[in-house]
Amino acid sequence: MIEQAAIKDQIRAYVLEEFAQPKGKATITDEENLTKEGIIDSMGIFRLVAFLEETFKVRVGDEEITHDNLESVDAIERLVLSKSKK
Amino acid sequence: MAYILQQLLTKSAKAYPDKPAVWARGKSITYGELDQRSNQLAHFLRERGIQKGDRVGLFFPKCVESIVSMLGVLKAGGVYVPLDPQAPADRVGYIIANCGIRILITNSEKRSALAPETADTLECCLLTEGEGKGSDQLAWAELDKYPSSHPPAVTLVESDLAYILYTSGSTGRPKGVMLTHQNALTFVEWCAEEFQVRSEDRLSNHAPLHFDLSVFDVYNTLEAGATLYMITEELALFPTSLANFIEAQQITIWYSVPSALMLLLLHGRLTAEKLKSLRIILFAGEVFPMKYLRQLAEISTTSELYNLYGPTETNVCTYYKVERERLASLDKLPIGIACANTECFSVTPEGRLAAKGEAGELYVRGPSVTYGYWADPEKTKKMVVPNHFQENFEEKMYRTGDIVTVGEDGNYYFQGRRDSQIKSRGYRIELGEIESALLSHPEVREAAVLAIPDEVIGNRIRAVVVPHVAGSLTTVVLQQYCASRVPKYMIPELIDLYSELPKTSTGKIDRVKLAAEPAGVR
Repeated sequence: MIEQAAIKDQIRAYVLEEFAQPKGKATITDEENLTKEGIIDSMGIFRLVAFLEETFKVRVGDEEITHDNLESVDAIERLVLSKSKK
Repeated sequence: MAYILQQLLTKSAKAYPDKPAVWARGKSITYGELDQRSNQLAHFLRERGIQKGDRVGLFFPKCVESIVSMLGVLKAGGVYVPLDPQAPADRVGYIIANCGIRILITNSEKRSALAPETADTLECCLLTEGEGKGSDQLAWAELDKYPSSHPPAVTLVESDLAYILYTSGSTGRPKGVMLTHQNALTFVEWCAEEFQVRSEDRLSNHAPLHFDLSVFDVYNTLEAGATLYMITEELALFPTSLANFIEAQQITIWYSVPSALMLLLLHGRLTAEKLKSLRIILFAGEVFPMKYLRQLAEISTTSELYNLYGPTETNVCTYYKVERERLASLDKLPIGIACANTECFSVTPEGRLAAKGEAGELYVRGPSVTYGYWADPEKTKKMVVPNHFQENFEEKMYRTGDIVTVGEDGNYYFQGRRDSQIKSRGYRIELGEIESALLSHPEVREAAVLAIPDEVIGNRIRAVVVPHVAGSLTTVVLQQYCASRVPKYMIPELIDLYSELPKTSTGKIDRVKLAAEPAGVR
């Protein structure tokens, strides 16, 4: 199993490179809300989910694609950890 | 009969004082409260020097106070200007300066996001959220001390401006479409009749308030004494949550861009049960692919579906009520026929009326047509032109720039644009505005921006950039630069760096050749 810290690093790096930087944000914090300021848009949400499924070998159902699960790097990490424990 | 927008509220506040008018973020406000609070805001604005026709900016995420603010500004005789809460400081600053906003309704977070040179030009900010600071940043509770029982005495007529909506401008800066009370009411009255909006209705508000789709949501709710359910920017991102919202709030009338409906279809786990409450689904802003429209019609068996069409300059000018029995055989969705009190013509490049089946540019006349663009008489003259089919008196009509044909069924069909305006997620985007943004970067020598057609969102944006010095620029640097100049939906998703751009024999950028090259090849 991948180390917990490594999971977070991968999520953070992906979000930064794929979403934050292209939208003009050079840095993000782990608590930062990614949905409020339009860092991730409606199509981006599904790219993010595809990335999580591919990278961490988890399955994220449509009903799990919610604000609470994806609003920040912290929240995304929690989602991935809860899945990989199963 | 109402001839100014705020009369819609006055009437419903009398009929339904205790009924919820607006719901947003778990909070609601009754018609009585909305009427009183907007009276207080109007008195506050008058005391702060707002006169008839003065512009007041609204710069904060959607909430109940958005609607209070719109009505309060109108009652003060002012003109409200909704600003995209996600727009970069540079663009917001441009709009504030362009239309001379001196009073801004905002919240403390958005207030601190303004550029200092913009903040300096403001006389005062009223904060919907957060604590007041000195005499130029006042808390919302400040309104408590103003009279609530009546609005200030201001004489307004239907041809006074009500609001200005800024849209993408081809020359690099957004342009402000000026809309009067009459422009809006012409549309609202047609909708009230066509859709029979009733006080029991529960309308959604999906579109942002700087987007003209929201005019229907807000004012047809007030007109009918119905209830408006505002969908926040965050909720709109999550299709299953949105589908649950429709069911939980028992929405009866939905209006959005087709791409929002497509996301619901693709990822919302929609069932007939979830959409049971909907009696009308309206969509506008971009072309709805037939494949997805058929899916929607299949799931939502009880609702009537309408394709509405019209640029911000006319709000909506044509409509097509989807004929379910034709859905299987129709390969392209019509934009339909003109709304009441609106006339449309299709005009050939030679200036004559197009024959059936012949392509022409769609022109619109009638009381829904804008005066033009704020402080831009040149642009206005190009787009709002004399009606040369009318010889007896002076009259204006609006050229949409959209190329249409009239089909055998008598409906208009959209065929394309005569310029480089595109739609992405229903947002109207001038590729020229993005090119100007890129070209303003000191390291950029040439830039061309292209649209890549996309089934779900309409178009994705690709830029090809030639730097002065090879290797001096990266995609991320350019995207970040764009982010400081244009809204997020206009930032090119793909940027290719070339050493030169292909040219035509006349020395122009060869866009056809560029578009034919796959992204990232050089």
